[in-house]
Amino acid sequence: MRKLAYLAAGTIVLTLVATVTLHRDPAAQQTAATVNDSITAPRLGASDTAALKGPRQPIFFRHDIHAGQYKIQCQYCHYTVAVSSEPGIPSLQTCMGCHSIIAGSDSSAKAEIRKLRTLADSATKTHDRVTVQWVRVHTLARHAHFPHMRHIKAMGPSACFTCHGEVSRMPQVFKVNNINNMGFCITCHIERKVTRDCTACHY
Amino acid sequence: MADEPSSTLDRRKFLAVLGVTGGSAAVLSGCSTDRVEKLIPYLVQSEDQVPGIATIYASTCTECASGCGLHVRTREGRAVKLEGNPEHPVNQGTLCARGQAGIQGLYHPSRVRSPRQRQTDGSFKDISWDEAIALLAAKLTAAQGKVAVISGAGRGTYRDLLGAWTAALGGKLVDYEPFDHESVRAANRQIFGLDQLPAHDFAKARYIVSFGADFLETWLSPTENQRGFAASHGYIDGAMARHVAFGPRLNLTAMNADQWHVARPGTEGAIALAMANVILAERTTGPADSNGLKNLLASWTPEQATQISGVPTEIIRRAARDFASAGPSLAVAGGIGSQHRKATELCAAVNVLNYVAGNVGRTVLFGAELQSGDGYGALVEMTTAMAAGQYQVAIVHEANPAYATPKSGHFADKFQKVPFKVALSLFPTDTAALCDLVLPIHHALERWDDLRPRKGITSLMQPVMEPVFGTLAAGDILLKLSKKAGGPLASFNAASWEAHLKQSWAGFAKAQGNGDADGFWRAALARGGVFGPAPVTPVKLAAGALQLAYPAAALDGAEGADSFTLSAYPTSMLYDGRGANRPWLREMSDPVTKITWQSWVEIHPDAANRMDVQDGEILTVTSPHGSIEAPAYLYGGLHPDVVAIPLGLGSNRTFDGRGTNGINALDLLNGEPTGGYLAYTSTRVTLAKTGKFQAIAKTEGTPRQLGRGLSDSMTLTQAKKGMTPSLAAAETEHHPEVEVNTEAEHAALRGFRSAQDEKIKLGAYAEDHPKWGMSIDLSRCTGCSACVAACYAENNIPVVGEAEVLRGREMTWIRIERYWEGGDDGEPLEARFLPMMCQHCGNAPCEPVCPVYAAYHTADGLNGQVYNRCVGTRYCSNNCPYKVRYFNWFAYNKTAFPEPLNLQLNPDVTVRARGVMEKCTFCVQRIRGAQNTARLEDRPLADGDVITACAQACPSSAIIFGNVKDSTSRIAASSRDRRGYHVFEDINVRPSVTYLARVIDRAEA
Repeated sequence: MRKLAYLAAGTIVLTLVATVTLHRDPAAQQTAATVNDSITAPRLGASDTAALKGPRQPIFFRHDIHAGQYKIQCQYCHYTVAVSSEPGIPSLQTCMGCHSIIAGSDSSAKAEIRKLRTLADSATKTHDRVTVQWVRVHTLARHAHFPHMRHIKAMGPSACFTCHGEVSRMPQVFKVNNINNMGFCITCHIERKVTRDCTACHY
Repeated sequence: MADEPSSTLDRRKFLAVLGVTGGSAAVLSGCSTDRVEKLIPYLVQSEDQVPGIATIYASTCTECASGCGLHVRTREGRAVKLEGNPEHPVNQGTLCARGQAGIQGLYHPSRVRSPRQRQTDGSFKDISWDEAIALLAAKLTAAQGKVAVISGAGRGTYRDLLGAWTAALGGKLVDYEPFDHESVRAANRQIFGLDQLPAHDFAKARYIVSFGADFLETWLSPTENQRGFAASHGYIDGAMARHVAFGPRLNLTAMNADQWHVARPGTEGAIALAMANVILAERTTGPADSNGLKNLLASWTPEQATQISGVPTEIIRRAARDFASAGPSLAVAGGIGSQHRKATELCAAVNVLNYVAGNVGRTVLFGAELQSGDGYGALVEMTTAMAAGQYQVAIVHEANPAYATPKSGHFADKFQKVPFKVALSLFPTDTAALCDLVLPIHHALERWDDLRPRKGITSLMQPVMEPVFGTLAAGDILLKLSKKAGGPLASFNAASWEAHLKQSWAGFAKAQGNGDADGFWRAALARGGVFGPAPVTPVKLAAGALQLAYPAAALDGAEGADSFTLSAYPTSMLYDGRGANRPWLREMSDPVTKITWQSWVEIHPDAANRMDVQDGEILTVTSPHGSIEAPAYLYGGLHPDVVAIPLGLGSNRTFDGRGTNGINALDLLNGEPTGGYLAYTSTRVTLAKTGKFQAIAKTEGTPRQLGRGLSDSMTLTQAKKGMTPSLAAAETEHHPEVEVNTEAEHAALRGFRSAQDEKIKLGAYAEDHPKWGMSIDLSRCTGCSACVAACYAENNIPVVGEAEVLRGREMTWIRIERYWEGGDDGEPLEARFLPMMCQHCGNAPCEPVCPVYAAYHTADGLNGQVYNRCVGTRYCSNNCPYKVRYFNWFAYNKTAFPEPLNLQLNPDVTVRARGVMEKCTFCVQRIRGAQNTARLEDRPLADGDVITACAQACPSSAIIFGNVKDSTSRIAASSRDRRGYHVFEDINVRPSVTYLARVIDRAEA
């Protein structure tokens, strides 16, 4: 469980040298998540977004374009889901891996990507560095622990949909299942004949 | 019910210790899910951090001079726990309570957050770093070399830089460490001509004699000592080393002795000399050059030693013979608590004893040169020069002499004669409060640094996270000052402190014959440093050995019926006062008295009887140098002529004057140095009753076992015969086994058991699961409480404060119970320890009484506690025979971790809310974590994959954890030990914790 890391320079978040390739654990290099059929994400204007379900995000990031239309695997961004209890929220550097080249196809997309670039550019500053603050859609209660990696291990890389719904078709992510309803967890655990011990999650 | 401890006054006092100045506590827990939370991604991904998985950095502990190696566990970019570095030769993976509490220093709310300058009205104002550097640089230039530096930095590159920097300025530097063991060094100079502190190999010694040296508490390298002591003194296969302690006070070290002999204070040296005399007189061979000593020692007969010390002649004679025949043996002296005016002579006597027994070079290892300061004498010399106006600028780095020296030495007055005083400090200490400029520096976990605690070991520190506050590394402050001031400092032109350190390491790599400086540095960083064997210095007697003498130690103050010799002694929790602002160390009880939070005065029950003093009665203690008031604690482990007061409290740590509670025993001492050191046992004091009382915040229940068979022990002879604890008890106490159950009751019990056996065939219980169990070897446990600190850190246990401890509401999931044995009718007073935590009973009484199924049994043998189910009936606690369940009376999740202490919380463990029962979980988060990892790697769990926090920290390796069903595991072997027993075995709760009875090697006729 322990990973003894060799430390290069000051370790923390915002200060490291910009390296574009992410360090990945070999265990993370699993079979890619497959999105069965590519969809054509709808064009949405600013006036259409009010009708979308789920919380409004500071940047209108479209899972349906990234994961649906372009079939980018979930784990490309949520990079630790197969190795850690935390799925991993991509750093802006990950976004910029593509978006330093891709500027967006229409004006509304361009506006959102400009927001991203402004934030990402602040990484080069010595202070006043700012990053995006996503509104969290799925918040697990603090008295429960959910090891993402065991679920990916047992159910495969496409297991995300089981709890999070078909995110690849969501222009804006919303809650499909109440993950804090324990019955939702237990139903699945009973079906699959896996542990129902309280201390598997509650400690 | 209020959300905070009941009395506002008490809460304020509690917060004062934490140093909170306004601001609200963090909200960390709760099951509300409609709150809007933010997900904040990195701008640039850190390569070292995987969210949800701990990243571990090697570092070095700076809480005392031993220089133990650390593994700092970080999660999502913040340090959450300190553990020992297994590769580090000093502590080999373990860590004491003080070291673990170092992390509370990092996140302490009272840390100085920005440079502060004293205003004309005496208050402090925050200024910018540029202003502070410019100000000090100008003062340094104007001082023209009249600069005094007092440094508490250990030996290392920073100290080298500071030394060269001070020399370039033309100033003077004193290395100051309050507990410096100067007497040990002085004695080595006298007897062996070596001005150094040797290393001691307790693991090799077969007979250990302590002359008041608290080697398990504060003496030289306590964690290393304890590791060695457990290895030799712990019972293994019919053998163990014997440990005998002589001294006026039964301290934690003496409590772990097989025999403690009370000696008059200041007379231990006579015993050592008499033992050396007996050895030389009775032995035909010995070190060749020891013959010169023979005549000198001849006058030190055991009879004379008895007269001086009060220890029976037979005991001294016998100890001498056993000491000589054990080979190798080890005698130690020079503890702070026994540092009287003849401490150098005492250590010299012990040197001679070790020498004639042939221990020098075997268990006493010269050449290691443990780091030490310049001693109290050098500090006094410097402050005298300050008073004489010889300095313009004084810089105090990480030292607090205004607190750690007696008031009668007038440090503060003399220090204030210096026109411009600067403190480089983490905290607003008493010394910083006297200064004109306070420069906040990085904590050891925030900076690059190295430490050379002894020859052969160079230990590294690295920043494990972003600085918590706007502080700077002290090295960077020096370099910035040099750039600003120029002149004689112009040569200190490294780009940064980090660059300077790496440059000096490049030189070190070359000296080690390694051309690849970068590779050398990286390898050292990953390992925690460069560890090699210490050189060995050959030792022979110096001329000074023949000046051996042992005159009686002089004491200030009159002898008299109502006067006592004061022993101001250090405790293993508070050390030199560094522990006084760490909430964990204040709430974790003192291992000897079990008192938390408060100061106390130990007085012998006979003397108390004579003076009609009760427990908790506030006494005025007066010496020729001052007086203090503190509650009495009646303690049989004292020479009747001694009163003892713990050091470490009574500091004024905050600028607003609220300070911490407790008194400073140093107020009673003479500030004049004795032979270069501060004599902590140097005054006679008188006691006066005030008629006031104070409730003592103790965590002990009953101080005696009352025949309950809690902490069992047996003699070495019994252990060798393979006796079980109950057989041994029956033999010792001559009690026949009493059968209390009737035949009908036995039949009922059998039926009950078979019914239970049916139940474990149901559902998940029938599946193949591990069964987690623990064993605790009481012959290794020293009661040091490192496990308690580890549990606090791992499991987010709240600190409840003095008022709640008085109500018995402390929350320590694991506690060290201490029971007294004997002490009456001439029987020796002995202590027994028992680490007590949830026993995870197979037939747990707490489980069936829970109305909401919050306490239940897991299939892998744990006694689970589901916080979100718990409704707080407390039935389970009422029904627990071990009293190991703790109730959250208040919303400690909101109040007990004031920012930024909340950053230390372990994200793997729920922070419990008000109204919830909690208890030891056998570190279930570690079990589940190990299971997750094993599953990911498609392998079964191996023995040793799961180590609980307490077992990991234990410097004695007394705790073993594992799967009892795995017959090849260490825990299974340990559970089969003949010494094994369960506490309250006869109530049939079937605990999962097996204790191995302590073995005591009493000298038997």
